[in-house]
Amino acid sequence: MADDKNLKGLGPDDKGSGTDAWDSTQWHVVVKGDTLSKISKKYYGDPNLYMKIFEANKDILKNPDLIKVGQKLRIP
Amino acid sequence: MKSKRILVAVLCVAVAIALMSCASNKEPAAAAIKAAEDAFNAVKVEAMKYVPDKAKAVEDAITAAKGAFEKKDYDTALNGAKAIPDKVKELSAAVTAKKAELTKAWDELSAGLPKMLDAVKSRLDILSKSKKLPAGLDKPKFEGAKSGYEAAVKMWEDAKAAFTGGNMTDALAKATTVKEKAVEVMTALGMQPPAAATATKG
Repeated sequence: MADDKNLKGLGPDDKGSGTDAWDSTQWHVVVKGDTLSKISKKYYGDPNLYMKIFEANKDILKNPDLIKVGQKLRIP
Repeated sequence: MKSKRILVAVLCVAVAIALMSCASNKEPAAAAIKAAEDAFNAVKVEAMKYVPDKAKAVEDAITAAKGAFEKKDYDTALNGAKAIPDKVKELSAAVTAKKAELTKAWDELSAGLPKMLDAVKSRLDILSKSKKLPAGLDKPKFEGAKSGYEAAVKMWEDAKAAFTGGNMTDALAKATTVKEKAVEVMTALGMQPPAAATATKG
Protein backbone atom coordinates (compact mmCIF):
# COMPACT_ATOMS: atom_id res chain seq x y z
CA MET A 1 0.00 0.00 0.00
CA ALA A 2 2.95 2.29 0.56
CA ASP A 3 3.29 2.82 -3.16
CA ASP A 4 -0.38 3.64 -3.58
CA LYS A 5 -0.74 6.82 -5.61
CA ASN A 6 -3.34 8.04 -3.13
CA LEU A 7 -1.01 7.69 -0.20
CA LYS A 8 1.03 10.83 0.17
CA GLY A 9 3.63 11.80 2.70
CA LEU A 10 3.26 15.44 1.78
CA GLY A 11 0.85 18.02 3.06
CA PRO A 12 -2.18 19.24 1.13
CA ASP A 13 -0.53 22.48 0.10
CA ASP A 14 2.84 21.03 -0.57
CA LYS A 15 4.61 22.23 -3.66
CA GLY A 16 7.71 20.16 -3.05
CA SER A 17 9.76 22.72 -1.18
CA GLY A 18 9.86 24.44 2.17
CA THR A 19 7.94 21.68 3.94
CA ASP A 20 8.93 19.65 6.95
CA ALA A 21 10.75 16.66 5.51
CA TRP A 22 9.98 14.73 8.70
CA ASP A 23 6.23 15.30 8.50
CA SER A 24 4.78 11.82 8.92
CA THR A 25 1.17 12.70 8.24
CA GLN A 26 -0.48 10.16 5.95
CA TRP A 27 -2.75 11.46 3.20
CA HIS A 28 -5.39 10.14 0.85
CA VAL A 29 -6.55 12.03 -2.22
CA VAL A 30 -10.26 11.47 -2.74
CA VAL A 31 -11.15 9.90 -6.09
CA LYS A 32 -14.54 9.34 -7.74
CA GLY A 33 -16.55 6.72 -5.88
CA ASP A 34 -14.71 7.19 -2.57
CA THR A 35 -16.60 7.34 0.71
CA LEU A 36 -15.10 7.58 4.17
CA SER A 37 -16.20 3.99 4.78
CA LYS A 38 -14.36 2.79 1.67
CA ILE A 39 -11.28 4.75 2.64
CA SER A 40 -11.50 3.35 6.17
CA LYS A 41 -11.71 -0.19 4.80
CA LYS A 42 -8.74 0.46 2.55
CA TYR A 43 -6.42 1.71 5.30
CA TYR A 44 -7.81 -0.03 8.39
CA GLY A 45 -9.56 -3.08 6.95
CA ASP A 46 -12.73 -2.01 8.74
CA PRO A 47 -15.26 0.41 7.17
CA ASN A 48 -16.79 1.13 10.57
CA LEU A 49 -13.72 3.08 11.64
CA TYR A 50 -14.53 5.89 9.17
CA MET A 51 -15.16 8.30 12.05
CA LYS A 52 -11.44 8.21 12.86
CA ILE A 53 -10.82 9.75 9.45
CA PHE A 54 -13.67 12.22 9.82
CA GLU A 55 -12.37 13.37 13.23
CA ALA A 56 -8.90 13.88 11.78
CA ASN A 57 -10.27 16.06 8.99
CA LYS A 58 -12.86 18.15 10.78
CA ASP A 59 -11.11 21.28 9.59
CA ILE A 60 -12.18 20.52 6.02
CA LEU A 61 -15.12 18.14 6.45
CA LYS A 62 -18.43 19.19 7.94
CA ASN A 63 -20.31 15.98 7.19
CA PRO A 64 -18.84 12.46 6.98
CA ASP A 65 -21.10 11.74 4.02
CA LEU A 66 -19.83 14.68 2.01
CA ILE A 67 -16.36 14.39 0.57
CA LYS A 68 -15.17 15.85 -2.70
CA VAL A 69 -12.98 14.44 -5.44
CA GLY A 70 -9.47 15.88 -5.09
CA GLN A 71 -9.74 16.55 -1.37
CA LYS A 72 -6.66 15.51 0.58
CA LEU A 73 -7.62 13.71 3.75
CA ARG A 74 -5.39 12.92 6.69
CA ILE A 75 -5.34 9.22 7.50
CA PRO A 76 -4.40 8.88 11.18
CA MET B 1 104.68 11.30 17.47
CA LYS B 2 103.87 14.79 18.63
CA SER B 3 101.54 15.40 15.71
CA LYS B 4 99.73 12.15 16.53
CA ARG B 5 99.09 13.37 20.09
CA ILE B 6 97.78 16.65 18.76
CA LEU B 7 95.44 14.80 16.39
CA VAL B 8 94.09 12.63 19.24
CA ALA B 9 93.61 15.72 21.39
CA VAL B 10 91.73 17.51 18.59
CA LEU B 11 89.50 14.49 18.07
CA CYS B 12 88.75 14.28 21.79
CA VAL B 13 87.80 17.95 21.87
CA ALA B 14 85.60 17.50 18.80
CA VAL B 15 83.79 14.53 20.35
CA ALA B 16 83.34 16.42 23.61
CA ILE B 17 81.90 19.42 21.76
CA ALA B 18 79.52 17.16 19.85
CA LEU B 19 78.38 15.46 23.05
CA MET B 20 77.91 18.78 24.82
CA SER B 21 75.97 20.15 21.88
CA CYS B 22 73.66 17.17 21.89
CA ALA B 23 73.26 17.16 25.65
CA SER B 24 72.48 20.86 25.59
CA ASN B 25 69.09 20.00 23.95
CA LYS B 26 68.16 17.64 26.78
CA GLU B 27 66.35 20.23 28.89
CA PRO B 28 64.54 21.93 25.97
CA ALA B 29 63.50 18.50 24.69
CA ALA B 30 62.16 17.50 28.11
CA ALA B 31 60.28 20.80 28.36
CA ALA B 32 58.88 20.44 24.83
CA ILE B 33 57.68 16.90 25.56
CA LYS B 34 56.00 18.06 28.76
CA ALA B 35 54.33 20.95 26.94
CA ALA B 36 53.14 18.56 24.23
CA GLU B 37 51.74 16.11 26.77
CA ASP B 38 50.01 18.88 28.71
CA ALA B 39 48.42 20.24 25.53
CA PHE B 40 47.29 16.80 24.44
CA ASN B 41 45.93 15.86 27.87
CA ALA B 42 43.72 18.94 27.82
CA VAL B 43 41.80 17.59 24.80
CA LYS B 44 42.53 13.88 25.04
CA VAL B 45 39.22 12.61 26.48
CA GLU B 46 37.00 14.34 23.92
CA ALA B 47 39.46 13.69 21.08
CA MET B 48 39.51 9.96 21.82
CA LYS B 49 35.70 10.00 21.83
CA TYR B 50 35.05 12.05 18.70
CA VAL B 51 38.14 11.74 16.48
CA PRO B 52 40.00 8.66 17.76
CA ASP B 53 42.17 8.21 14.66
CA LYS B 54 43.49 11.75 14.81
CA ALA B 55 43.98 11.51 18.58
CA LYS B 56 45.95 8.29 18.15
CA ALA B 57 48.25 9.99 15.62
CA VAL B 58 49.09 12.74 18.14
CA GLU B 59 49.56 10.21 20.90
CA ASP B 60 51.94 8.26 18.65
CA ALA B 61 53.92 11.43 17.92
CA ILE B 62 54.34 12.03 21.67
CA THR B 63 55.40 8.42 22.17
CA ALA B 64 57.96 8.79 19.37
CA ALA B 65 59.40 11.98 20.91
CA LYS B 66 59.66 10.28 24.29
CA GLY B 67 61.31 7.27 22.67
CA ALA B 68 63.94 9.50 21.08
CA PHE B 69 64.51 11.20 24.43
CA GLU B 70 65.03 7.84 26.14
CA LYS B 71 67.64 7.02 23.51
CA LYS B 72 69.30 10.36 24.29
CA ASP B 73 68.53 11.59 20.78
CA TYR B 74 67.53 14.97 22.14
CA ASP B 75 67.53 16.78 18.80
CA THR B 76 64.96 14.37 17.35
CA ALA B 77 62.98 14.46 20.58
CA LEU B 78 62.97 18.26 20.59
CA ASN B 79 61.99 18.60 16.93
CA GLY B 80 59.29 15.97 17.27
CA ALA B 81 57.83 17.46 20.46
CA LYS B 82 57.89 21.03 19.13
CA ALA B 83 55.58 20.06 16.28
CA ILE B 84 52.96 18.53 18.58
CA PRO B 85 51.20 21.65 19.96
CA ASP B 86 50.18 22.62 16.41
CA LYS B 87 48.86 19.09 15.88
CA VAL B 88 46.91 19.41 19.13
CA LYS B 89 45.35 22.65 17.86
CA GLU B 90 44.26 20.85 14.69
CA LEU B 91 42.94 18.02 16.84
CA SER B 92 40.94 20.44 18.95
CA ALA B 93 39.45 22.00 15.81
CA ALA B 94 38.55 18.52 14.52
CA VAL B 95 36.78 17.74 17.81
CA THR B 96 34.78 20.97 17.57
CA ALA B 97 33.81 20.22 13.96
CA LYS B 98 32.81 16.64 14.76
CA LYS B 99 30.70 17.73 17.74
CA ALA B 100 28.93 20.31 15.58
CA GLU B 101 28.25 17.67 12.92
CA LEU B 102 26.86 15.21 15.49
CA THR B 103 24.77 17.89 17.18
CA LYS B 104 23.23 18.90 13.85
CA ALA B 105 22.39 15.28 13.05
CA TRP B 106 20.96 14.79 16.53
CA ASP B 107 18.84 17.95 16.34
CA GLU B 108 17.37 16.76 13.06
CA LEU B 109 16.60 13.26 14.30
CA SER B 110 15.25 14.39 17.65
CA ALA B 111 12.84 16.72 15.85
CA GLY B 112 11.77 14.11 13.29
CA LEU B 113 11.66 10.75 15.07
CA PRO B 114 8.86 11.63 17.53
CA LYS B 115 6.67 12.54 14.54
CA MET B 116 7.29 9.16 12.97
CA LEU B 117 6.67 7.31 16.22
CA ASP B 118 3.47 9.29 16.88
CA ALA B 119 2.17 8.49 13.40
CA VAL B 120 2.91 4.80 13.87
CA LYS B 121 1.25 4.75 17.30
CA SER B 122 -1.86 6.41 15.91
CA ARG B 123 -2.14 3.82 13.15
CA LEU B 124 -1.43 0.89 15.48
CA ASP B 125 -4.09 2.12 17.91
CA ILE B 126 -6.70 2.30 15.16
CA LEU B 127 -5.72 -1.03 13.62
CA SER B 128 -5.97 -2.63 17.07
CA LYS B 129 -9.67 -1.68 17.07
CA SER B 130 -10.25 -2.97 13.56
CA LYS B 131 -12.30 -6.13 13.15
CA LYS B 132 -10.32 -7.05 10.06
CA LEU B 133 -6.86 -5.99 8.94
CA PRO B 134 -6.44 -4.17 5.61
CA ALA B 135 -5.20 -5.89 2.47
CA GLY B 136 -1.48 -6.58 2.61
CA LEU B 137 -1.38 -6.76 6.39
CA ASP B 138 -1.91 -10.08 8.13
CA LYS B 139 -1.92 -10.82 11.84
CA PRO B 140 1.77 -11.90 12.13
CA LYS B 141 2.88 -8.83 10.18
CA PHE B 142 0.74 -6.61 12.42
CA GLU B 143 2.14 -8.19 15.58
CA GLY B 144 5.65 -7.75 14.16
CA ALA B 145 4.94 -4.09 13.52
CA LYS B 146 3.67 -3.66 17.09
CA SER B 147 6.78 -5.20 18.63
CA GLY B 148 8.96 -3.25 16.19
CA TYR B 149 7.30 -0.04 17.35
CA GLU B 150 7.77 -0.95 21.02
CA ALA B 151 11.46 -1.71 20.38
CA ALA B 152 11.85 1.62 18.57
CA VAL B 153 10.25 3.53 21.46
CA LYS B 154 12.54 1.79 23.97
CA MET B 155 15.62 2.52 21.86
CA TRP B 156 14.55 6.15 21.44
CA GLU B 157 14.47 6.47 25.23
CA ASP B 158 17.96 4.92 25.36
CA ALA B 159 19.18 7.35 22.69
CA LYS B 160 17.86 10.33 24.64
CA ALA B 161 19.50 9.02 27.81
CA ALA B 162 22.81 8.60 25.97
CA PHE B 163 22.57 12.15 24.67
CA THR B 164 21.75 13.52 28.12
CA GLY B 165 24.71 11.55 29.46
CA GLY B 166 27.00 13.30 26.97
CA ASN B 167 27.55 10.29 24.72
CA MET B 168 26.59 11.88 21.42
CA THR B 169 28.09 9.17 19.22
CA ASP B 170 26.12 6.44 20.95
CA ALA B 171 22.97 8.60 21.02
CA LEU B 172 23.20 9.18 17.29
CA ALA B 173 23.83 5.50 16.52
CA LYS B 174 20.75 4.54 18.54
CA ALA B 175 18.63 7.28 16.97
CA THR B 176 19.64 6.07 13.52
CA THR B 177 18.53 2.56 14.46
CA VAL B 178 15.20 3.99 15.67
CA LYS B 179 14.76 5.75 12.34
CA GLU B 180 15.44 2.54 10.41
CA LYS B 181 13.05 0.59 12.62
CA ALA B 182 10.34 3.23 12.27
CA VAL B 183 10.69 3.18 8.47
CA GLU B 184 10.40 -0.62 8.54
CA VAL B 185 7.25 -0.51 10.70
CA MET B 186 5.62 2.24 8.66
CA THR B 187 6.26 0.32 5.47
CA ALA B 188 4.84 -2.87 7.00
CA LEU B 189 1.69 -0.96 7.99
CA GLY B 190 1.30 0.46 4.49
CA MET B 191 2.29 3.95 5.56
CA GLN B 192 4.53 6.35 3.68
CA PRO B 193 7.72 7.13 5.67
CA PRO B 194 8.69 10.83 5.62
CA ALA B 195 11.13 11.90 2.92
CA ALA B 196 13.87 12.78 5.41
CA ALA B 197 13.82 9.28 6.88
CA THR B 198 14.42 7.58 3.56
CA ALA B 199 16.84 10.12 2.09
CA THR B 200 20.36 8.75 1.73
CA LYS B 201 23.18 10.90 3.00
CA GLY B 202 25.93 11.53 0.45
